Amino acid sequence: MTQPSDRLFTQPTFAKRAEATVFWLLRAATYFVLLCAAVIFLDIGVKGGAVIFKTHAPFINTTFLTESPETLNVFELHGEKRQMGDRDFRAFKAEHAAELKDVRVETYVYSAGGIFPNIVGTVLLVVGSMTIALVLGVISAIYLSEYATDGPFIRFLRLAIVNLAGVPSIVYGLFGFGLFVIGLNMGVSLLAGWLTLAFMVLPIIITASEEALRAVPKGYREGSLALGATKLQTIFTNVLPYALPGILTSSVLSIARVAGETAPIMFTAAFVVRDEMPWQVKHAIDFVFQGVMALPYHIYVVASKIPQNDYTRDVQYGTAFVFLFTVAAIAATSVVLRVRLRKKYKW
Amino acid sequence: MAETATAARPTRLPTSEALLRRQRGWFFGLSGDRVAKVVFQSNAAISILVLALITFTIFRDAVGFVPQNRQNLEIYRLAGLEFTDHLRREVEDYSAFNRYLGAIRSDRFAQLQRSGLSIAAAQAQLADFDAYANRVADAISAHETILGTLTDTATSLKERQKVAQDTAHARADLERALPTATPAHAAELRRQIETLVPETINFRTEVQAMKDQLPEMKTANTALAATLADLAAHAPRFSDAALDARLAHFTELMQQFPAQLAAATKRMETWDQLKPVSFAESLTAFAFGRDWITASFWQDWYGILPLFFGSLLISIIALAIAIPLGIAAAVYVNQVARPVEQRFIKPTIEFVSAIPSVVLGFFGIAVLGESLRKLSQLPALDWVPGFPFSERLNATTAACLLALMAVPTIFSLAEDAINNVPRSFKEASLALGSTRLQTIVHIIIPSALSGIMAAILLGLGRVIGETMVVLLCAGNRIQIPDFTAGIGTAFQPVHTMTGIIAQEMGEVVRGSLHYRALFMVGVLLFLISLLINWLAQKIVRRYRIAAS
Repeated sequence: MTQPSDRLFTQPTFAKRAEATVFWLLRAATYFVLLCAAVIFLDIGVKGGAVIFKTHAPFINTTFLTESPETLNVFELHGEKRQMGDRDFRAFKAEHAAELKDVRVETYVYSAGGIFPNIVGTVLLVVGSMTIALVLGVISAIYLSEYATDGPFIRFLRLAIVNLAGVPSIVYGLFGFGLFVIGLNMGVSLLAGWLTLAFMVLPIIITASEEALRAVPKGYREGSLALGATKLQTIFTNVLPYALPGILTSSVLSIARVAGETAPIMFTAAFVVRDEMPWQVKHAIDFVFQGVMALPYHIYVVASKIPQNDYTRDVQYGTAFVFLFTVAAIAATSVVLRVRLRKKYKW
Repeated sequence: MAETATAARPTRLPTSEALLRRQRGWFFGLSGDRVAKVVFQSNAAISILVLALITFTIFRDAVGFVPQNRQNLEIYRLAGLEFTDHLRREVEDYSAFNRYLGAIRSDRFAQLQRSGLSIAAAQAQLADFDAYANRVADAISAHETILGTLTDTATSLKERQKVAQDTAHARADLERALPTATPAHAAELRRQIETLVPETINFRTEVQAMKDQLPEMKTANTALAATLADLAAHAPRFSDAALDARLAHFTELMQQFPAQLAAATKRMETWDQLKPVSFAESLTAFAFGRDWITASFWQDWYGILPLFFGSLLISIIALAIAIPLGIAAAVYVNQVARPVEQRFIKPTIEFVSAIPSVVLGFFGIAVLGESLRKLSQLPALDWVPGFPFSERLNATTAACLLALMAVPTIFSLAEDAINNVPRSFKEASLALGSTRLQTIVHIIIPSALSGIMAAILLGLGRVIGETMVVLLCAGNRIQIPDFTAGIGTAFQPVHTMTGIIAQEMGEVVRGSLHYRALFMVGVLLFLISLLINWLAQKIVRRYRIAAS
């Protein structure tokens, strides 16, 4: 029954077998990376999700999202373990002073209350720095792609921008600290953080925007110029609209990067604790000269400065959850945006 | 004559022509286009300015390090701290002998206990050995006494120098305030200035007292040599071959010690207190220094090597994990995967790069560190060197997370490079009868190699520059990793260049030596990242294949 030719097809050769093995190895490596990422997302999603979401109405832990961090007091009263935030505890203590006399109270800093000021601070940092970075970056990119004529200076400039995109973020932190906080005497402030973060993403925005501008076909510009439009009109009507999707994608990605960085704001903008909200300032000008609390710095503090145990786990995982999934949502937006816009604009 | 003059006189333009002529511009004589160009130009100029500022700022603050460290080292030399350190190093080496003996004793003790002896009986058996160990420990006591006096003299001298310097500063401040002060206030100031007289220290005579102890030291050296010879002759022996071999090694080392000590004495004799510290010396103390010691009562050292090797070790481990994974994923997605997989895997891996590093660091502390330690404690894995870990947070914990951050970078750039290999290459190879694997290994990867190399380099840049993960998970021990441990080196806690900046920047005094040292570290990081970027660009440009 078995013909030699059949055998040739049913029995894989050595080369085929090797190929299949190698391909399986490649596949395993690829999915291993995805698995690692999934484990992190699941771990933080499950443990942090338990902090943020509730099984009963209103289904979301509003205290965690709307209050300031507090010290957690843990004590045992009448054989019952109680956990209280600092404010509740003080009220409780005033009422039950006699009972609490000999009770040992353990305290854990930052472990009660919520993370509202951190969220506000992060939003402020991101909005401000992205505004600065986008204005500077996009206009610079227009100059580089539409106006600049190639020469040694422009080539040097491009080289500098490309290289600065690879400079570690902590070096930007050092720069912001040296120039803004100390050199220009701004102190640890929102403004110093804005500028530091803006300059950190500036090279990325310039490069990406320039690429988007260059991708617009030359014919679009020539057609417009041939009809008598000025250069400025051409840029506004025939170049920018087509480059905008590319610029948008890169800027959304930069938002994720700005929101996710800790090192540059550690000593330029972030405070561990600040009692007032950012808008509670005496003079309007103080607004930009105040330090803020920020999610990434808060995670750093609660991950490294307080012990890892059941009482502190809530704030650690809760903060990580909010932060990770916000940044992930921003990044996902950029990915989706890119895919959709690529389909829409094709030339 | 008159006729030509009339002809040259400008005449009024006809009205129709004046109306038809284009206006020169509505903004300071500039047209809208020109204005726009100026705006764009000035904006680009701001960007350039910013980029220049970054470079300028970090370099400006770092440059001051060299002269300031030179001063630091000068005091170290002037006040006799360097002199003392020659002896200190020898005494510390000697105390290593005691630790060596202690290790032998505890092994022997364990042996005896295993053979069924009670604790008391085992102690009794080791009594002779303990007496011997005590003699070994005592042999250096004369030197220890000398070291003690030298240390006291040197520290008090340094302290006096510091006080004198502070007084001089305070005096200078007051003197500066003098010209603008009111007469009454000026009188007060003058009185204060009179009380502030900085002490002028004659380092030469002060240190002479230290040098005078050299003859004493020489006698101690001779005595020690005799004692050590005697001790070597009467070294105890156990009936165990391995332990005896270690003891023999020990006596050998001990017999060499007097020569080492004599060399140190010689160095102390020829030591020149007034030898100036050069700028180059100050810089090499940073570049090749093996210690990073801050806020020490004795002497602060700012040597980059422990941090540099920490960064290097972590990067090597991280890349060892990330390169195979990243490139495998790139090859798989581009060459093997079905379109559905492609559309799913590519954005997902790129998405991984958006995970903030501080969250990864937190994950490392909360989950990964503990899991890896549990894994290392499995009895089945005892054969791996360095297992089980002694520390939960070590170079490997941090490197695993860094690898996850480097994979997307390596993946997307390598995938781009593979994608850019002309289709015809692949088609030609397949047409000649190669299998897909052969095509990938022999055609596609070699053609894309330059891009892959660049991807790896940029991955390295990402790993070396990462801060939060290493700060949270690397263990933060400032020490050059012990490379003699082989693979076990990977499981030691380390500190990194980025980590030290993040950790210490918040607490330093502005303008102090420590502050400037941190900026020096920043400059080094800056230069490393420039080098990596430059290399990556060069590789890509040099080996680019003609895509036609």
